[in-house]
Amino acid sequence: MIQLLFNTLSLAAAYSLLAIGFVLVLNATGAVNLAHGSFVVVGGFLAAGLGSWLKLPGAVVLPIVLAGMMIIGGLLSLIAYYPLRNRPAVSVFISTLSMSAILETATLLIFGPSPRVGPPILSSGAIQVGDVALNVQSLSTVLLAVVLVAAQYVIFSRTVLGKRLRAVAEDREMARALGMNVNAMIVITFGIAAALAGAAGLMFANTFYITPGDGEAYMIKTYVAATMGGWGSLRGAIVGALFVAAFEVLVPSLPLAMPSLVGALPSLEALFSPIASTIWLYLAFLVVLFFRPQGLFGEAVQQRA
Amino acid sequence: MSRSAHVRPLLGAVGLCLLASWPLIMSSPYDLRLFTLAGVFAILAIGYQFIFGNVGELSLSQGAFFGLSAYVSGILAVKAGADFPQSFAASIIVCVLLAVLVSIPVLRLSTHYFALATLGVGQVLLLVAIEWQSLTGGAIGLSGVPLPKLFGVQVARGWPLLLFVWCFVALAAMVAFQVKRGLYGLACHVVRQNAVAARSLAIDPDSIRFAMFLLSAAMAGVAGALHAHTIRIVSPEGLDFKVMIACLTMAVIGGRTHIWGAIAGALLVVHLPEWLRGFQQSYLIITSSVLIAILIVAPEGLAGLVDRLLPPQRSKSPDSDGLSPIQDRTSDGVLMPSETPILAVRELTKTFGGVHALNNVSFSLMRGSIAAVIGPNGSGKTTLVNCITGNYRADSGAILLGGGEIGALGSDEIAARGVGRTFQNLRLVDDMTVLDNVAVARFRAEAATLGKSFLIGRRDEKLSRARSHALRVLRRVGLEHAADVNCASLAHGTKRLVEIARAICLDPAVLLLDEPAAGLNETEQAELARLLEALAARGLTLLIIEHNMEFLKNLATHMVCLDYGELIASGRPSAIYQDERVIEAYVGRRQAAEATA
Amino acid sequence: MRFARRIMLAATALLSSSALAQETSLTVPIIAPITGLLALEGTSQLNGANMAIAHAPAGLKIKSQVIDSGTAAEGGANALERVAGDKSTYFSVAPLFGTQVLAMLPVALEYKIPILAPTGTGPVTEQGNPYMFRLYPHDAVSKAAHIRYVVEELKLKKAAILYNTTGYGQSGFKYMSEYLTKVGGEVIFSEGVDLSAKEISATLAKLKAAKPDVVLIQMHSASIAMVVKQLAAANIQIPVVGNTTIAMPATASLLQPSELKGVCAESASWLEKGADAATDRFINDYVSKHGAMPDAYAIQQYDGLMMALVAVKGGAKSTEDVRKYMSTTEYKGVAMRYKADAKGNLAHSVVIVCYDGASLNPKLVKRYDNVAGF
Repeated sequence: MIQLLFNTLSLAAAYSLLAIGFVLVLNATGAVNLAHGSFVVVGGFLAAGLGSWLKLPGAVVLPIVLAGMMIIGGLLSLIAYYPLRNRPAVSVFISTLSMSAILETATLLIFGPSPRVGPPILSSGAIQVGDVALNVQSLSTVLLAVVLVAAQYVIFSRTVLGKRLRAVAEDREMARALGMNVNAMIVITFGIAAALAGAAGLMFANTFYITPGDGEAYMIKTYVAATMGGWGSLRGAIVGALFVAAFEVLVPSLPLAMPSLVGALPSLEALFSPIASTIWLYLAFLVVLFFRPQGLFGEAVQQRA
Repeated sequence: MSRSAHVRPLLGAVGLCLLASWPLIMSSPYDLRLFTLAGVFAILAIGYQFIFGNVGELSLSQGAFFGLSAYVSGILAVKAGADFPQSFAASIIVCVLLAVLVSIPVLRLSTHYFALATLGVGQVLLLVAIEWQSLTGGAIGLSGVPLPKLFGVQVARGWPLLLFVWCFVALAAMVAFQVKRGLYGLACHVVRQNAVAARSLAIDPDSIRFAMFLLSAAMAGVAGALHAHTIRIVSPEGLDFKVMIACLTMAVIGGRTHIWGAIAGALLVVHLPEWLRGFQQSYLIITSSVLIAILIVAPEGLAGLVDRLLPPQRSKSPDSDGLSPIQDRTSDGVLMPSETPILAVRELTKTFGGVHALNNVSFSLMRGSIAAVIGPNGSGKTTLVNCITGNYRADSGAILLGGGEIGALGSDEIAARGVGRTFQNLRLVDDMTVLDNVAVARFRAEAATLGKSFLIGRRDEKLSRARSHALRVLRRVGLEHAADVNCASLAHGTKRLVEIARAICLDPAVLLLDEPAAGLNETEQAELARLLEALAARGLTLLIIEHNMEFLKNLATHMVCLDYGELIASGRPSAIYQDERVIEAYVGRRQAAEATA
Repeated sequence: MRFARRIMLAATALLSSSALAQETSLTVPIIAPITGLLALEGTSQLNGANMAIAHAPAGLKIKSQVIDSGTAAEGGANALERVAGDKSTYFSVAPLFGTQVLAMLPVALEYKIPILAPTGTGPVTEQGNPYMFRLYPHDAVSKAAHIRYVVEELKLKKAAILYNTTGYGQSGFKYMSEYLTKVGGEVIFSEGVDLSAKEISATLAKLKAAKPDVVLIQMHSASIAMVVKQLAAANIQIPVVGNTTIAMPATASLLQPSELKGVCAESASWLEKGADAATDRFINDYVSKHGAMPDAYAIQQYDGLMMALVAVKGGAKSTEDVRKYMSTTEYKGVAMRYKADAKGNLAHSVVIVCYDGASLNPKLVKRYDNVAGF
């Protein structure tokens, strides 16, 4: 059970990176980036490609992945967001969806259709803590996610660039009036979001492998996490990620926690199948919205002008 | 404009000819099949426009209704041997029932939450379809769905099926046309652009959204059933998010609100990948690039692009249509306030996060009087208006209209009972003409409903009456000349006047004006004052929120002054102007401000 | 005797092909899902088909046309409609995606065009369609062999079954559990996992708690690799007998040899060099072109398409001729002998391969020929 809790935490850590990037773009642009799942795919393949070529662990490859993803994220914003910045938000919906098809097909063409395995962040294997074997990869996933979230926090709260990025996220018009280059800030925000998603891709590629078609599933999970927490709230994104991860790992394992109940009613087991758990996730989402129509932490995003 | 007036009908005719000749020219069985499928998706997209276009809600469940309907049709046909009319009707009914069920928790949510909650519907249905193998055939699907059979005649593949499907496209287009062109469609437009304004005009956005959601689901039901009978299999792929994406793409690429845009979008989205299929995997890259290019060139969709290049001819004013305007029967009366209170506010209190925006405010308005609420910025004036009109719910206290309590009603109900208002930050619909902006206020009076709009004949009588009423009001406020102009191009002062005209068109008993003189020059102010006096003389009660003392001086018959949410003075203007607390609140603070500046 | 004569005829046609100077031109449509979630298997199918065209009997002028069937149910049917009317098209390669094949069947029947699909999922040959030819063993066949190996050779009867909730996974699960029950075994735990699901530790924890003797799997590449990897990581020492995807080189390359130790897989076909010249030629050319051994989808597609090409070479001049040839002739491919039964199932052989823990290439341990379905 402790093992499963730990897996939940590690999964939530990786999802947090996705959800935070998603929310950063959302706050800066007021638009949803539906190519976010493809960043995971591209980052994962980048890590897998570099890892098998250089034979180096993920932690060493990571800076290259982050840099590469920043460029890809920035380019994506120039193609799919910049020309449409004054258009209805739903145009960006479609353009980012199209970009995600382009990114994933390009990945397919370059790397082929086979799943790939990424390098472990530090090493594979497990360390024994008492009678629980903790996977080094899961452990380092949590550590790396914490480091990246902390780095993101420091950049946004302590640097001049971060202050500008935040100003743009809080009020684009005001930031423009103050003479900031709003468009450049948005390109950088996309870059940071892509880098965080790419880092998540690096983590996933080792544990779960990565295939060119994986983007949509990651996208939907990110969307759920970010929305459940509250549209535009970074704290909410992290809580939302935890929520999604819990429904993926803990809910299906509930029969283990109460074997007597399941023993008495074997048909109950079907209620905790992975498929059923996904259904519970959406129902839980509706329940959350029923009591808190603005998500767990409330709205924080500026309305798009 | 005259050029586009000629070109647009021509363009429409050419478009129809192209559409009709498409399957004649590209007539291989493969082309016919694609054209048939495009028809199915056109119905889906036309249906989607009701919720996404007409009322502007980003619903992501259209694909779910589509897939569900396909399953219902397929299961009934394969497992129960149902005829096409039976399975077809059943699919639509099931979709509408699900839409009713879903709308209870979901329709009250705002945009993104609504989008994701509706997406969840599709995901849940998809998982159920995969898991419930005994019924649905599981992930591989259920094959052997027959071709549609009507009155014992099987509709064969190729031309018969194509015509069969496109008959439904025509039907769907007609339904959409009926819904869009009348007064009801105008109300949808206001709901989409400005739900708060709609409420102030006694239009209930929730019931319109609900109706549009159901109509969308019903259309998705039609499309889904036809899809199952066209491709002869039902499978989880029909519930996949990709179907929803395709539908959304059709609506956005074609144009959100134009029927032909949905058809063009469907034709394009179905055919584009097929035409490019020769490029093996890379066709996906090319298709997506083309879509992005279209979005950049025509961000409002292909229909929007045509509108931009050839602006649509404005609908003509009703009197030039030969509908003789009814003469103003009432002559201007004399300003004669009565002694019966029409609106009474009792001990009203409203707090925001512990701060009293209104604290124990009481006053009443006499019928036919012109009352003014004054007070410095942030004194609670607009909060007061918003409480009376139901935009805010007061924490305690009572609001009585003609003796009846209205404090618990929604703002559209309050408007329907005769409280009209204007907004400090103008809430007009910019992409609608002045005339239509005003005419839509007749929605409740004309009792326009979705059901009745299906039965519209050559022209919507309700809309004609509403427009001629609106034209009379515009004439009274001196804006007749601007009737056919889009609101977006008006000057600020004119917009204020249009808002007043719109509120008058509602035929209210009480009219609340939130800073009507702001942004007007002195001549305009004087004209406005004359207009308001004339309105009051006919028995309309006015409550004006205003800073501009000069404007109010000769206008108001009664005044109340608010400061920090408290009513500090109430009485005749001359008395108020002498009141020390009022002077203190206004002058004192201004001097203090100037001193620090 | 008559069969033997037919084989002789086919063989002579093949051998004498170079002697005939005149060329027969034909178009071969290859409809396969080369994008989307089945792109891996679809690409193998495409590679096998391309190799068959490259190795086609001399005297055939072949124009191949690759059409992606994508992910939509109607993807295959649209594509078939596109190519079916053509005079020089005698048959079509169909996707391994069962749903798409089901949607193609009415079109194939209408145009009377044979379709060759390397899919194992149950219902495609149950529709009474004479133009459907299944190049991959029916799941009823391959899963019977799968279970027979577990029960007869490994003597294990308490099984846990993991499968993907795709047509492929559900079909495999259905036949495995039915056959296992029939031969006296018991499914003590089973769970369907979505193809896009990543974190499966809860499922594995439940599996472990159920204490099965053997783990049976019917999953796609990334999912099955994940299961094997996590079972190894958690040190769960239960024999694993999976489906063909774990035998695919693309899947094996995701794992360490140690993680694969003792893992067995059912597969349609298994090729080793040195069997005969045709097999060597296929393996050599495939490996040099794609850098990996062909997997079962590539092999079955290669054989099946070659069989149809031989039919054309042997004088088939119409779709009907090809259908007759495919449904009556026995053909020896590189992997096995193909002979259509009444429903159009061509392949009836299944192999079991196992990894030894030292290499990423499994070894053949058991071969089942002419397996009867159930």
